[in-house]
Amino acid sequence: MKGVKCTNCASVFYPKRDCCPKCKSTKLDETEMGDSAVLITHTELWAVPKGISQMPLVLGIVQFDNGARVLGQLTAKEVKIGMHLKPVWAVVRKIQEKEVYGFKFEPV
Amino acid sequence: MPREVAIVGCGMAQFGNRTDKSLMDLLKEASTKAMEHTGLGETNVSALYVSTMLAGELTNQTAIASALADELCLVPAAADRIENGPASGGSAVKNAYLAIAAGLFDIVLVVGGEKMRQVPGDRITDLLATMTHPTAEYIHGVTLPSLAAMFTRLYMNKYGVERKHLSMIAVKNHENGLKNPYAHIHRKITLEGIYSSPEAEVNNPVIADPLRLFDMCPISDGAAAVVLCSADIAKRFADKPITVAGVGQATDIHAVSQRPDPTTLNAVKISSQQAFKMAKLEPKNMDVVELHDAFTILEIAESEDAGFFEKGTAHKAVEAGVTSLGGKLPINPSGGLKARGHPVGATGIAQVAELTWQLRGEAGERQVKDAKKAFCCNFGGFGNNVVSFVLKRED
Amino acid sequence: MENIDSMLSLDWDIPKKPYPAKAITLPTGSKMVVREISREEVPFLLDAIRPLLTISADYYDIVSARMYAELLGWYRYRVRNEYCLVGIVDGELAGIVNNRLYDSKTCISYHTMALKRGGRVGAHLFAAKQEHAIENLGVDQILVTAESPIGFNRWMVEWNLEPRQGMQHELGGANAYALTKEGYYLRKSKLVFGERPVPQALLEEALHFKVVAPDMVKDART
Repeated sequence: MKGVKCTNCASVFYPKRDCCPKCKSTKLDETEMGDSAVLITHTELWAVPKGISQMPLVLGIVQFDNGARVLGQLTAKEVKIGMHLKPVWAVVRKIQEKEVYGFKFEPV
Repeated sequence: MPREVAIVGCGMAQFGNRTDKSLMDLLKEASTKAMEHTGLGETNVSALYVSTMLAGELTNQTAIASALADELCLVPAAADRIENGPASGGSAVKNAYLAIAAGLFDIVLVVGGEKMRQVPGDRITDLLATMTHPTAEYIHGVTLPSLAAMFTRLYMNKYGVERKHLSMIAVKNHENGLKNPYAHIHRKITLEGIYSSPEAEVNNPVIADPLRLFDMCPISDGAAAVVLCSADIAKRFADKPITVAGVGQATDIHAVSQRPDPTTLNAVKISSQQAFKMAKLEPKNMDVVELHDAFTILEIAESEDAGFFEKGTAHKAVEAGVTSLGGKLPINPSGGLKARGHPVGATGIAQVAELTWQLRGEAGERQVKDAKKAFCCNFGGFGNNVVSFVLKRED
Repeated sequence: MENIDSMLSLDWDIPKKPYPAKAITLPTGSKMVVREISREEVPFLLDAIRPLLTISADYYDIVSARMYAELLGWYRYRVRNEYCLVGIVDGELAGIVNNRLYDSKTCISYHTMALKRGGRVGAHLFAAKQEHAIENLGVDQILVTAESPIGFNRWMVEWNLEPRQGMQHELGGANAYALTKEGYYLRKSKLVFGERPVPQALLEEALHFKVVAPDMVKDART
């Protein structure tokens, strides 16, 4: 899972972007996000949009060891703030009938 | 030297499930009412700004501002469509302000509207979700309610906001909405019905936990319009012109997860500070406020980030009744988005219309006594574009 | 002739317990009385449903047509083991639900119609009719289907309905989903509410309900 690290202020972001929202530098290097993240907030969504088949859809925001915060679907049935998660590559939804891939988070 | 700008009239087409009128009809209704309220008579409008987020998508008509100019016989007035998501209305009013302040136009009609209800709910949810970050949010099935829910959970854990505070806001706004003839929802709800009774589990079901049905504004059709003009001619139309004393606008990092503090609405903070600074006023000077409560939690968060309460304390003010119609700082006397409804492009203009009625003493049963200074903020996306205004009545 | 008449003339043929009325607090703070109706009251319900027969939006026409037929069928002794509960708010008919027992162990879920909207009337009445089947009439399972896909997705999960492959629902042969006795009791605390007994004055009002023009309601499902 590849994000970016700002060479100026060392902040890490995912997904990749061209400029640092913290210090505005455009000098960002690709960086490996790693496997270690912690859940900081979550929700169980019952009003799912078109293209999502899970009911309910469980979403969360995780914080990686490198400081980056990332949003994704959670695979676990039982979730708790502070639980340890790792990213897995999977189909996340359909957009106009085509499958779209992204990183979900599963318990470690 | 920028000119002073005044608001001299407003009008609304009732928000709701408007199967009776097309989008164009709704825009015309609000516009006509606003122009009549102003008492324009034979005076020509120099420009028209039309605010709508979904018009081309949902109704088969693009370039709607140009079309409306002809429908209203305002030709050859200048006309633009303004789109800024749910902050389209605020942006449209801002653009009218800019044009008049710059001396380009003297009298401008701003109207916003939406027809959103005749489309299946999951399609609307998805369309609104396209405002979110495409790769960081949208592809994961994120919807605005889910972002608001995760935001709410963080807020509850950090500041001690509880479900009952959110329900109190819903009850208050429904109560206010009963007094607003233009509101979508005219239905009393009680704290017992949506929160404390065992039945509340079914009455107020979870939509995106911890947010429930009565924490979310409805999907509405409707339109709202205001007329602005250069202050030096305002007395022609209104005994008590309302001055646009302060304007502010700011953006925020798109993906909520990437914001340094996901519980701070930085665009609300910055845009409100800009508006207060320009008006040479402070939050504590305000008599009445309209906030963008697409979700009940936002009324709490915006009231703090706009400076009305210390961060993390607004829920206590709600509990103490400070923000109800009879309280020290009435918030959303119109019923807010929760009860007034939320035809996306119309909302920002409806906020300005409400405050105009309030400051002119024309708000009927929901009148805030002696309202002279008012604030509103129109919240785009999930807070990544916010337009704020400070309005005051010249005495 | 008599033989054929008794063959076609259908009524309850298994033990039948009455539904004890209850009062439910709605979002407005008003109380909705849920009670069972007698066959004699069916004509009033038909009056209430008739205006919806021509509304095609949200499947109103088909749901109201089917419910009309079901209730009329029961009234005229052509449907076996059917029962009907109504919800009354402020003395006015707010919603109607009906089911019929296939046999002493299986109930067929018929329809749910909310005539007043925005108050979660349909959700509460659906729960009540299933409560009656499981708790009072003692069935092991209730077979459910729906005309409207909107919301059925969520209901399936909320009520933990189990798909019954290869079993057609009586209503047109759609796939049947089962609410089992076990499933009902697992979910009951989150879905089934109400207070008993109903205060006398409220019950009186509910016994003599008025039928007013229905709101164009969103909730109409089996």
